[in-house]
Amino acid sequence: MTGAELLQLFDPKLCVFDLKATTKDEALREIVDRVAAPDSRNHKFILEMLHNREHLGSTGVVKGVAFPHGRSLAVSKLMVVFARSAAGVRFESMDGEPTHLFFVLLAPPQDRANQYLPALGKLVETIQDDRLRDRLMAAAAFEEFAAVIRDN
Amino acid sequence: MMNPQEQLLVALQDLDLMLKEHTDSKDQFKKMGFDVSNLEELQKARALLVSKLEPAHVQHYESMQKRHGRAVFPVTSDMCLGCFAAVPSVYRSALYQDRVRMCQHCGRILYFP
Repeated sequence: MTGAELLQLFDPKLCVFDLKATTKDEALREIVDRVAAPDSRNHKFILEMLHNREHLGSTGVVKGVAFPHGRSLAVSKLMVVFARSAAGVRFESMDGEPTHLFFVLLAPPQDRANQYLPALGKLVETIQDDRLRDRLMAAAAFEEFAAVIRDN
Repeated sequence: MMNPQEQLLVALQDLDLMLKEHTDSKDQFKKMGFDVSNLEELQKARALLVSKLEPAHVQHYESMQKRHGRAVFPVTSDMCLGCFAAVPSVYRSALYQDRVRMCQHCGRILYFP
């Protein structure tokens, strides 16, 4: 999967550049608020699925990045939601450090093109680069964010 | 509105998808650096969901899961995405709000997004 193909999974309207949350629960809720109307069934199912995934083991890896992910009947197409917190979120990350960058990958059960795991793998691989993470932290708007993802 | 039993069945299907994926592709997730060590936590969550369901619904769910690989399918454009048969439009009416809706053709449990 190329950077350009990965970028197609992001919807500019869903990106959050100024996440207010300080805890894991707040962060997941604030992000899911973008994807589905709060108090809707789809919101409830997606949030529950993401919480279940966190029970399996935190998706907050190292270097201030988290990749909450999963499949749900409430999701109609594969998508990635980007969120950023300047102050950082207590996300039970593996290194115990606050999490600043979130890539929430949501997939429907019937992902016939089977892009879900390749997309997750590409995201994890892309974000290893220290300079790239610095650029994502500094991106002022979606266009700058998109350029970083597309070029990798 | 959605029948509480139907809601539990959707949550159960999502959970089973997660359990299957993280069992089948455990090594792939671990290779990506994810912690997937607490599968028993998901099993506990599953048991809790099942305990809240009526036995007949659990039985139908398990039977559909066995037959089709997945028991709950979404409805799009009044069509069951499991078998692509038409779903009666009356299923969306208040008459059916308190029932678990199933495809008349394949028997799969339906989710109306």
